[in-house]
Amino acid sequence: MAFNYDKYLRVNKMPTLWCWGCGDGVILKATIRAIEKMGWDMDTVCIVSGIGCSGRFSSYIDCNTVHTTHGRTVAYATGVKLAKPHAHVIVVAGDGDGLAIGGNHTIHGCRRNIDLNFILINNFIYGLTNSQTSPTTPRGMWTVSQKNGNIDPTFDACKLAIGAGASFVAREAMTDPKKLEKILVKGFSHKGFSFMDIFSNCHINLGRKNKMLSAMDNLKWIDSITLPVKKWEALSEEEQLNIFPTGVLREVEQEEYCDMYAEIQKAAKGERPKITQDDFKKKI
Amino acid sequence: MGTFKTENPGNQPVWVNTNNCKACDICVSVCPSGVLGMVYEPTSTLGAMISIDYPDACIGCNECELTCPDFAIYVADRKELKATGKSFAKLTDEAKKRQEEIVANNYMSVKQKGAK
Repeated sequence: MAFNYDKYLRVNKMPTLWCWGCGDGVILKATIRAIEKMGWDMDTVCIVSGIGCSGRFSSYIDCNTVHTTHGRTVAYATGVKLAKPHAHVIVVAGDGDGLAIGGNHTIHGCRRNIDLNFILINNFIYGLTNSQTSPTTPRGMWTVSQKNGNIDPTFDACKLAIGAGASFVAREAMTDPKKLEKILVKGFSHKGFSFMDIFSNCHINLGRKNKMLSAMDNLKWIDSITLPVKKWEALSEEEQLNIFPTGVLREVEQEEYCDMYAEIQKAAKGERPKITQDDFKKKI
Repeated sequence: MGTFKTENPGNQPVWVNTNNCKACDICVSVCPSGVLGMVYEPTSTLGAMISIDYPDACIGCNECELTCPDFAIYVADRKELKATGKSFAKLTDEAKKRQEEIVANNYMSVKQKGAK
């Protein structure tokens, strides 16, 4: 008997609709293993996903799932979390879903530090709509919308999340599923907004015109642009430009939004005095 | 279609669910011990299918199971396999060499007739 994935999956939806070798499947598997490690009851878990290849995520896991409109994953998840503060809400968004159309929701989720687990599946391209430039597409790569090479600079999603105020920020690539599982467990057990930027492959749409036609070639490329954060810090500034650090990049304790919202509810019922600036460590 | 085979079929260290396999080569590339290889299969989408050529060489590292995106390959639990009288092999130089051959052969099985 191997690890029993049947327990967590809607088996009648298998095999998945993703392409062969798609990193989304590895991330799905790592998420299931992380949920098993956390020991969560599946009735208390809610998966919220948007539109894109990553949107299929909510179809495959057997728990409370919401398949929402494009880019509004964090908005829906915030609603779920405020209505059911004890639920474990996992948000799954792609790079287009979470950084392009849903970029504003993402930064405000980070700012409020609401207890959501945000998994950003970053495959460097718009995969579902066939190879348009996404906010994370590396410069110089061929895309359908920029056929002579992409000139837009690349988004560093983790820096964005740190700047916006997320209390847990981590990055990992799906090339190492064991590390990925550990990062997911850390993120899931953190109280506050856990932002996890996970590099995934899309050899079908990113790779076909960029010399990475097979899944393995694409994974090797992902390996070449990532480095554990401690090794990354030892690099010179020039070398750091084209390499992404992986691992936990920020982990701090901050006031959580649902806790403060409970205080607001108490104040409205007259059970406590109104909230003032003295209630907060960080006032501005 | 769709059902999994998490139950071990006949005390095997590693087994596959061919209904789910899409032949992406990832498991073959991560195996350190040359256990797996692809074979030609005309009915599959990519014209290939995974095959377990040397099950006795499996070292139980679980890499193939963890990196498979499609829930198609499973590795036995170490303790349960031991209870049935079998155990995982140790990594040998012969196995490492075989793995290099398989990778050089474009992930196709070296056992198969007419391989490149």
